[in-house]
Amino acid sequence: MKKTGKNTTIYSFILILMMMIAAPAYAAAPVAQIQAMLEKPQVLCGRFDQTKQLLGIKKPLASNGRFCVVAGKGILWQTLQPFPNTLRLTPDAIVQIQNGKVAMRLDANQEPVVRMINNVLFSLLAGDLSQLNKLFTINGSVQNNSWQVALTARDPALAKAIGNISLAGSQHVKKVTMLETSGDRTDILFSAMQSGNAAMTTAERVLLEQ
Amino acid sequence: MNNSKSKFIALIWLLIVILLLGYNAYLWFDKRITPNTDILALLPAEQRDPVLQQAFDHMVDTAQQRIIVLVGATDWTQAVRAADAYSAVISTRPDLLTLNNFATEKIQNDWLTTFAKGRLNLLTPDQQIALHTQPASYWVDTALRNLYSPFAAPKLGAWQDDPFGLFSTWGQARAQETPVRPRDGKLFVADKDRSYVLLIMNLHPSAFSMTAQTAVMPLLALAATAAQKTVPQSEIISSGVVLHAAIASQQARHEMSTIGIGSLLGIILLTWLTFRSLKPILLIASSLMVGCLGALAICWLILGQIHLLTLVFGASLIGIAQDYGIYFLCGRLREDKAASAAMDSTQLLRYLWPGLYLTLAAAIVGYMGLALTPFPALRQMALFSGVGLLFAWLTVLCWFPVLVQPHTLTITRFANQFAASRAHWPLLQKNKITFFVILLFFVFALIGWSRLTVNDDIRTLQKPPQLLIDNDIKISKLLDAPTLAQFYLVRGATPEIVLQREEALAKQLQPLIEQHIISGYQAISNWIPSLQTQTANQKLIAQKILTQPLQDLAVKIGEDNTWVTTIKNRTLAATTLLTPDDFLKTSASEPWRYLWLGKVGDEYASIVALRGLNNYSNLPILQQTANKINGIQWVDKIGDISSILGHYRQYMGWVIVCAYAAIYGLLYWRYRRHAWRVLMPPAVASMATLALFGLFGIPLQLFHVLAFMLILGLGVDYGIFLQEQADRHEGFAWLAVGLSAVSALLSFGLLSLSKTPPLHAFGLTMLIGMSIVWLIAPCFMLE
Repeated sequence: MKKTGKNTTIYSFILILMMMIAAPAYAAAPVAQIQAMLEKPQVLCGRFDQTKQLLGIKKPLASNGRFCVVAGKGILWQTLQPFPNTLRLTPDAIVQIQNGKVAMRLDANQEPVVRMINNVLFSLLAGDLSQLNKLFTINGSVQNNSWQVALTARDPALAKAIGNISLAGSQHVKKVTMLETSGDRTDILFSAMQSGNAAMTTAERVLLEQ
Repeated sequence: MNNSKSKFIALIWLLIVILLLGYNAYLWFDKRITPNTDILALLPAEQRDPVLQQAFDHMVDTAQQRIIVLVGATDWTQAVRAADAYSAVISTRPDLLTLNNFATEKIQNDWLTTFAKGRLNLLTPDQQIALHTQPASYWVDTALRNLYSPFAAPKLGAWQDDPFGLFSTWGQARAQETPVRPRDGKLFVADKDRSYVLLIMNLHPSAFSMTAQTAVMPLLALAATAAQKTVPQSEIISSGVVLHAAIASQQARHEMSTIGIGSLLGIILLTWLTFRSLKPILLIASSLMVGCLGALAICWLILGQIHLLTLVFGASLIGIAQDYGIYFLCGRLREDKAASAAMDSTQLLRYLWPGLYLTLAAAIVGYMGLALTPFPALRQMALFSGVGLLFAWLTVLCWFPVLVQPHTLTITRFANQFAASRAHWPLLQKNKITFFVILLFFVFALIGWSRLTVNDDIRTLQKPPQLLIDNDIKISKLLDAPTLAQFYLVRGATPEIVLQREEALAKQLQPLIEQHIISGYQAISNWIPSLQTQTANQKLIAQKILTQPLQDLAVKIGEDNTWVTTIKNRTLAATTLLTPDDFLKTSASEPWRYLWLGKVGDEYASIVALRGLNNYSNLPILQQTANKINGIQWVDKIGDISSILGHYRQYMGWVIVCAYAAIYGLLYWRYRRHAWRVLMPPAVASMATLALFGLFGIPLQLFHVLAFMLILGLGVDYGIFLQEQADRHEGFAWLAVGLSAVSALLSFGLLSLSKTPPLHAFGLTMLIGMSIVWLIAPCFMLE
């Protein structure tokens, strides 16, 4: 009835954020190993550096900023460079704020996918890793202290829309690559990661909980 | 000699009845005729409109044969497991139900390919406004946000095909026309607590057929059990016309076995007390049955169809034919045994003749008024009941003299006592008491009438159980589905005109969404704008986006003029003009196909459906909206049916008033200045019943009026019987009146206990009306 295409970006994005605080399921043998390596903090904040290479644009588009993931509450993704922009994901809505104004808002009761994503997200935070395995097949490998996995959506329509996602890291997820079927590519590098309540500033907490 | 002649007549009639039986058996079992249930067929022919008819059929077919089931669980995977168990049971009976399958991948692909070709033609109303009002910087900001954010606006296709996200935003608006989403090859919908799998099933046998109700209901129950066995905490919500129909007929069957048996036992007891024999029941039943068979056969021969309403009302009206048989049988039971025995059947018939032909004539004169109304079902009813009464009457005339000989029946003490009771009834006389009683009656009647209201709302005619209502409400909330009962019908000479009119309507609907009168609307023009709008959209984008904003964006992301030209060319390439057929060909259009009626006769038509309409007091606003634009018609099925019922109520009301006048004319010819005495009992009873309805706040509706017609028919019979046997000591006429009134009370009056609103209304009127008629009939007779 409806397209899934429009939701693919949400899927992949959420997925990566989930990887920040939880292990990528237990499908393949190395996954258990990876899960053991990963820290599972209640709150995790850090810096991100994102590079997008879009078909039709010569120069890669670089941006960076701060992110926070709070179990049970939601996710805050604040772009600082080249211009400030805040993205907030909570169980009720996905909201984008630019220049102090809501630039985009997707309510759960208007767009059911919001709720679906949140269900997956929060069951995952609760330690129910089977959710992720339901949506994706996971292939991974471990070398010394680092690991990497490739995710393929089980639903063929979803797989086609999302493209390929790969992740790499050690104690935390360090790098995410998304290769869309359209040819567009996004790389995100995570650094300066801190866990625990102190990791989040008061301003960030207010922004997430408002 | 007389005897053999009447036997010959009886045999001839038997032959005719056998023919009738054969023809009816052929009609019902071989030809399998079904009564017409089409509500629009009740409208006068000149008021029928083929386009409206098709729109109605279209919507009714869509709704009536569909069963919607939501299988929910706290977790999607569990919901899917439960739904699979449910579907497995359903798929064992492909002859009854088919499950609609949705191939997610194919749906996504074919709609994207279709619309991507005409990307530049598609804008939502909000986008059009923004393009007119927002500065270039707004669009540059939007594009940059989309570029840098990991999750920007949802994206459809490659970035360079839609740098400003216009097509994606349009697509998102389309997606939000329904909260249902494809997920893992299923349809998914959710609320705060649960995820649901949406199952849409098509029912093969008609939702109103017994097969559907007796076979489908257990199958649904079995499927629900299977689902709950697989996932114990799963929730199953079902909705469908067939569920309502099944509950209604179950209730009818239940009432038939309680009220029906009660009234049958009462009639048996009454007959036994009066005649010490059950033969009279068989005799009277046979006359009524022949009446119905004859009516149906003749109606079918003449009209080639019969409406359900005719069948129900007509068969009730034939009920007054019991009087002919009762009158004859009671005539046989006169107290003066010697005189009675000396009279053979032919003589008896001659003695009773005036009463018999007058009652038939009065009924036919009364009911023929129905034929003069412009409404087809009322005309059918006139033919049906007229023919039915004639056949029942002929059965009494042809068979009863042979079957009921002087010694067939003996009078009982009970019958004698009752017959004698007439002598104790007070008679209306010209004195102060009479004057006082009349005055009192009119005061009472006027107070009652002044408070009388009417209500023709079809929704008051059905009272489904709360659980069904709750489920329907829950499903419509979860699915945010458009209402099927109210919609706009749009028409025009070409598809383009239809789409343009839809767009004009959409502009009017926009403020209603802001006022929360509706939450949204579904229209084909949401998907495929008119060619005029498509061209205008292209121009708007080319002017407002492919100029300054594109230049500015290029600077921001470090691209040159070549890039600007490339993007411009790429964007301008997607300007294939789209037609409704392009969309309807895709499998993604399935849920919206019902909106496009296509070519009907020599014009095109479509439906604009409304979502979130839950306050019926807003209907007039929606109706006014239709009046503002040419070629748009507001269709309110519930309102239309209610107004048809209202017309029927009014016309039948006038027919009754005219029937009183016509019957008075007929009676005047025999009774001269005493004719009014015959009409008084039903008239007074009807006026009193109306007054009581007013006092008790019962709004008048069609089924009450039907009962008033029956009260007139029966009441006039009583008046004639009593007037013919004016001697107060000749009690058999009074016995006939008593028997007829009590059996009418038992068979019709007991329906007041029914939980089905129309039957209750009919029964209550009969109960009050017939009791009064019976009670007062002797008072008006000549001393």
